Amino acid sequence: MKGMIFDIKEFSIHDGPGIRTTVFFKGCPLRCIWCHNPEGLSIEPELMIKHTLCDGCNKCKQKCSHKKCEPFDRCVFACHKGLVNISGVEIESMDLAEKLKKYADFLNINGGGITFSGGEPLMQADFLVELLEHLNGIHTAIQTSGYADQETFKRVIDKVDYIMLDIKIADGKLHKKYTGVDNELILKNLEYLKSSNKPYIIRVPLISDITDTSENLSAISNLVGNSEIEYLPYNTFAGAKYPMVGREFLLSRTKV
Amino acid sequence: MSELLLDYILNKEHHKFRKDYTINLANDYKKKGLSPVERMADRFERLTKAETPQLLPDEKIVFVRTIRNIPEIFTEDEWQDINSKHYIHELGYMSNLSPNYEDAIAVGLLAKSEAADEYGKRAINNIIALSDRYKEEAEKQGKTDIAKVLERVPRYGATSFVEALQFFRILHFALWLEGNYHNTVGRFDLYMYPYYKADIDKGIITDEIALELLMDFFLSFNKDSDLYVGVQQGDNGQSMVLGGVDSHGNNVFNQLSSLCLVASRNLKLIDPKINLRVNKETPLDVYELGSELTREGLGFPQYSNDDVVIEGLVKKGYALEDARNYVVAACWEFIIPNCGGDVANISALSFPKIVDIVVRKYLKDAKSFEEIIQKVNDEIKIECNRIADGIKDLWFIPSPFMGVIMDEIKYNNFGVHGTGIATAADSLAAIKDHIFEHKIITVEEMLEAVDSNFEKHGWLLPILRYNSHKMGNDDDYVDEIAVKLLDLFAEALEGKVNCNGGKYRAGTGSAMYYLWHANELGASPDGRRMGEAFGTNFSPSLFARINGPVSVVKSFTKPHFKSAINGGPLTLEFHSSIFSHDDSVKKVAMLVKSFVDMGGHQLQLNAVNEEKLKDAQKNPDKYPQLVVRIWGWSAYFVELDKEYQDHVIARQEYIV
Repeated sequence: MKGMIFDIKEFSIHDGPGIRTTVFFKGCPLRCIWCHNPEGLSIEPELMIKHTLCDGCNKCKQKCSHKKCEPFDRCVFACHKGLVNISGVEIESMDLAEKLKKYADFLNINGGGITFSGGEPLMQADFLVELLEHLNGIHTAIQTSGYADQETFKRVIDKVDYIMLDIKIADGKLHKKYTGVDNELILKNLEYLKSSNKPYIIRVPLISDITDTSENLSAISNLVGNSEIEYLPYNTFAGAKYPMVGREFLLSRTKV
Repeated sequence: MSELLLDYILNKEHHKFRKDYTINLANDYKKKGLSPVERMADRFERLTKAETPQLLPDEKIVFVRTIRNIPEIFTEDEWQDINSKHYIHELGYMSNLSPNYEDAIAVGLLAKSEAADEYGKRAINNIIALSDRYKEEAEKQGKTDIAKVLERVPRYGATSFVEALQFFRILHFALWLEGNYHNTVGRFDLYMYPYYKADIDKGIITDEIALELLMDFFLSFNKDSDLYVGVQQGDNGQSMVLGGVDSHGNNVFNQLSSLCLVASRNLKLIDPKINLRVNKETPLDVYELGSELTREGLGFPQYSNDDVVIEGLVKKGYALEDARNYVVAACWEFIIPNCGGDVANISALSFPKIVDIVVRKYLKDAKSFEEIIQKVNDEIKIECNRIADGIKDLWFIPSPFMGVIMDEIKYNNFGVHGTGIATAADSLAAIKDHIFEHKIITVEEMLEAVDSNFEKHGWLLPILRYNSHKMGNDDDYVDEIAVKLLDLFAEALEGKVNCNGGKYRAGTGSAMYYLWHANELGASPDGRRMGEAFGTNFSPSLFARINGPVSVVKSFTKPHFKSAINGGPLTLEFHSSIFSHDDSVKKVAMLVKSFVDMGGHQLQLNAVNEEKLKDAQKNPDKYPQLVVRIWGWSAYFVELDKEYQDHVIARQEYIV
């Protein structure tokens, strides 16, 4: 079956053990106001335009007959500076597996593998499970918010070799406020993960005044118990991609 | 090493001792009718005499230049006359050689004098005389340690690590003062190790003291380096080679090699430029030490792969024990120390220019892409013939002192760089794909677009630049064309005999030609606009959309380097933030090791930060020590001309 991805990143060295290639799944049920991959939110392909470098020649607005450009109000093959691009490619699991397998030798000798990130990979669980079946012999890892029903979570988790589960906010109300969803499912999946025999790590993004508060961090610490935990410092340039996909970076409004 | 000395040198306080040599020697020599070698011997004598011994604060390794300039030995008329009768390489002096420091340091200059001719003897006497004056100055100032060292060297062979280091400094100082340039350092950890080891075994030094000495010694390469000529400041060829196998095939990476990497990392200065020889037996921890140095943003170490280079050199006719002993010249050309007289950078072939000629002459009538490749082959041959035919009666200004410390010359090969391979391969791939196979572009459209710098048929530009096959994406469609180009280049030079009886070697380096050749050319069929540079050395095109460093490594390890063995590294630029985790040093080390295991020949890595570079262009005063790698050497960013600065900023940069 087909899935929707928005990037394949080579030599990702902060996404699990060894040297990895990371596949970014498009679409996420959460709306964390600090999200640094806004192009991963919608599951639909969308335009990404680097407006800051645009000199307004308007070539992209002239009519074209490219099939790829049909859904959009612009031509994506017209910009001389290459500023107009589509984020989101629909791809067969088999074809994606073939692309990824090209890296297998390199990743295997370097103690690495493939990491699934996003967006939220669990949102395309059927696709992901199919993809995993094609990736035998390669170490796989997932970066997930854990937001999925337990059956879906189990189905994927049982098939990957390493899990990086984000626990952002312990308090349900605050979680809903800052991520758009309740954390009940996430905490249930956390319990499953803890009781599974899978190697995993809990990751906590440090957003000052939101996740990075002493109450929240100690509450998370209680929730995760003895689990290995990694705190992710926040990159202040994270908002850079928002204007490119025509979204507003809510965190900056919170700050100002 | 003392911070006092470091600050003293970084603040250029020793420049206050410098004076100009104002006497016009050339006119005098002409009047007296002196031969070139007599002139060189006389000038060296005058300059050594004019030098004033200066001991800098806390310095353990002495000798610093106090004469700023080296006066000409020929009048302009004479030089023009010489040029009209001979092929003169660059400035005409000996350069890019790796002399036998090992032997001189072991036996001493008096012993070397016995076998030297009268000019060599004279040069030796003059440098010993200057050393004696340094010794007297040291005694006068009560610096008995220094005086004691100079009591022994350079007259006699070194008997300790500090003597050996001081001896090297004197040899290097003398080579530069004689007028030679791009004076390399050679296999330092090989020839210095016995002195280090003996002192350690005797308990005279500890590793801590050895490191202090090394840092003082490394600092000495930076005292006068602004006086060393190059295309840009920093292009001075003080390349030090560490690791690799010895002439018997045994790995030599030793404790001294490690200390050198640490000394360089501690100092964070652009000289000496560190090169690491590696091979399939090199353990990951050596690469990790190398990556620790890369992290400092100095643009080195540069890695060379023994497994490829040695076999390639043997294939070219070098004796196995010589090939195993290879070093790099000023930048990356593989040369043989002691007995190698190769001119490793005598000329350069521009791959994009070849494509340009073929496109203009033959594209209209070509029936197939194979025909185009055939024409490319023909034009490469024509260009190689033109290059070879242009080099007749090569003549170098005789260098008596260099002659003393070089062995008998065994190799006289000429190296030819090959520039812009990615631009050329991408251009040919675009022609193959869009014109011959998918026919979405007509020949006329392509020709008019390129001729008009894409003013006409502007719609081609985004297709060619951003939606075409690009070398660096592990895409066989274009990578195979690049493999072919390098093969054809190597074949075209194969069998040619140069004017010194040697061979020609094809290479993958660019030197400054990535700007020069690019400026000679208009737009190209890969969507490169007029005025845009090529990638430096052996690298993807500047605007190509690249999947990432893994694909680059895979693409750029495909060609047959063993047949094109002049050198020229793949250059990878990483954003400096990659090194924010300690763990990432290890992962970069793994990437380098994989490159070597996959059969790459040479690699240099840069840790850069585009925002910082841009700020440094605006506020140079804020960044006096910001270092970048240029083509085969590292430099202080703010000291470069703007076009070289801009190129560094424009390069592919991987954020991970």
